Amino acid sequence: MAKTSLSRLFASLSEHSIAKPSFTGSRSESVTRSAYNSVTRFVCSSAQETQLIREERSNEGDREAAKENLESVNKEEDEGEDGDHVNKETGEVSGPKGPEPTRYGDWERNGRCSDF
Amino acid sequence: MPTKRTLMVMWCIQVSADPGVAGLRYALEVAKHGSVAIITKAEPHESNTNYAQGGVSAVLCPSDSVESHMQDTIVAGAYLCDEESVKVVCTEGPDRIRELIAMGASFDHGDDGNLHLAREGGHSHHRIVHAADMTGREIERALLEAVVNDPNISVFKHHFAIDLLTSQDGSDTVCHGIDALNTETQEVVRFISKVTLLASGGAGHIYPSTTNPLVATGDGMAMAHRAQAVISNMEFVQFHPTALADEGLPIKPKKTRENSFLITEAVRGDGGILYNLSMERFMPLYDGRAELAPRDVVARSIDDQLKKRNEKYVLLDISHKPREKILSHFPNIANECLQHGLDITQQPIPVVPAAHYMCGGVRAGLQGETNVHGLYVAGEVACTGLHGANRLASNSLLEALVFARRAVQPSINYMKSSSLDLSASSLWTRPLVPKSLGSDVMHKILRITKEVRKELQSIMWKYVGIVRSTSRLQEAEQKIGKLEAKWETYLFEHGWQQTMVALEACEMRNLFCCAKLVVSSALARHESRGLHYMTDFPHLEESKRLPTVIFPSSHTTGTWSSRQLHQQPIVKSMV
Repeated sequence: MAKTSLSRLFASLSEHSIAKPSFTGSRSESVTRSAYNSVTRFVCSSAQETQLIREERSNEGDREAAKENLESVNKEEDEGEDGDHVNKETGEVSGPKGPEPTRYGDWERNGRCSDF
Repeated sequence: MPTKRTLMVMWCIQVSADPGVAGLRYALEVAKHGSVAIITKAEPHESNTNYAQGGVSAVLCPSDSVESHMQDTIVAGAYLCDEESVKVVCTEGPDRIRELIAMGASFDHGDDGNLHLAREGGHSHHRIVHAADMTGREIERALLEAVVNDPNISVFKHHFAIDLLTSQDGSDTVCHGIDALNTETQEVVRFISKVTLLASGGAGHIYPSTTNPLVATGDGMAMAHRAQAVISNMEFVQFHPTALADEGLPIKPKKTRENSFLITEAVRGDGGILYNLSMERFMPLYDGRAELAPRDVVARSIDDQLKKRNEKYVLLDISHKPREKILSHFPNIANECLQHGLDITQQPIPVVPAAHYMCGGVRAGLQGETNVHGLYVAGEVACTGLHGANRLASNSLLEALVFARRAVQPSINYMKSSSLDLSASSLWTRPLVPKSLGSDVMHKILRITKEVRKELQSIMWKYVGIVRSTSRLQEAEQKIGKLEAKWETYLFEHGWQQTMVALEACEMRNLFCCAKLVVSSALARHESRGLHYMTDFPHLEESKRLPTVIFPSSHTTGTWSSRQLHQQPIVKSMV
């Protein structure tokens, strides 16, 4: 076996301050960045500009409004030439219909989460 | 009377359920150099790969970078990741995905023909490749097709792996194959193989509520531990906070759900509120972000409430939202609940955390090698150092793909240097099917084993859940020890012998082994990091930023679950 038991520890990021999710009720930052603060969806292409939809979660009203926008955009779906479903907003072909599955960070379809 | 079968192959790949991504990928490569046996406990559609329906992550966009993927992985892993493993996976991932596409896996793309990439929690770029809802299944379909068409690969379905066949050569342990039980014919089959790869997945069923299929009983981890392989980081068990809790449904499902129905974070994101069974909203007590706190915080909070209040589930209420919205966003949840008498537009949803993924496992080097010569590991069964203390979303399929590929050349080289042949097959006692016990005794044993499994799961959930403490872990250790002793005594009092095998008993033995590994690992880490939270060590300790390593114990003492069935021969220069 190539490696010794402790020889390949990761060391170079130790200068980052590590805040642990608090369990004592006080506010703290999570060590895990989440996608809660943004919903972004684009097709990666060197020729295309990316389209970003930023969604603030500062208050529920804004969130609701943003969700409505996203839904109405997602509802504008075209049929491609071969009859494949094409998401008008993102250009994704044959992808999942409806709201973006990863909009809250996990992968969900119709309410059931299958990856997180 | 079935004859004793021994097969000689170059490679033996053990997969507990389904030949998932790791096993299939490896098989296809090594089959170019010799015969391969893939042994699988069930039917080829049951693995955790199949349930990995979200996507697989890789750097496939010019504006993304390997460094960024590495950084995201390391942050998610609470800085416990192995830097070299992270670099290797993030660097080689894109090529592994491209190979899958070349093999015919069909991923969603944009109308300009480029891959469509989604973005999941913890990722700072869009890098999740997916096939609508069924990425895992799509990858597997493409690989299975190639495997079926390969004349050098034989798939042995319904073959349950019992123990690795190993020998001692000085201080080295060497693996020479696997004993398996054909659960359809009740025949023991011995596979002599120059190289063995374990791609056997996770051990979710040490807990009562898990997303894993029934076959995920930690077989590979247990076999490897019994074979003197080093195990690492078993304390890092990933739970999802909100699985549908069947106990809280008005109409209980007719039979126990095999794998949990996870309620998406989107329910909380859309305004769902968490209550305990006294209808007290508890999240604000734990975090200022309340229900919008990170998933791991929510999981701990729910766990704490359940343990403090001795309750079985909490409630997630979205019924205050407009009915049409609920039904259009969450029809899956609505339908599932309605079938069991619950209307989520009127009532709260009962939820409980479910065990999902084991970040730890058999300690592997950068080639998937273990400390047992001739034994390689890939996928969830392995601990490569990629995940550290917490897995980043969609990295697990990627890990499986990369490490399975990396194990190929080293194991081909190892195979070529091996002079192992079928004459080795007589070195180990054959496992014995318990026909002599008679059906009455077997029924009793099966019934007791089923109860013992539930009891073990209950202990694990109660004492080795999401929020831990030294005293609770020690209590778990004691209770598990007593339970195991009680079970083994029962078996042996009823005529069970050391070398006897039956599916349920062997699974139980593996569950005990994995449960004890989780408890030992958890007791060893005197800090809280990532998925491992201890109330008596609630902070991160820089000095403890090291993997937890469990070395094998003596194989001459210990319980039935911690020893191989057979006596390990000491043979010089078998390889």
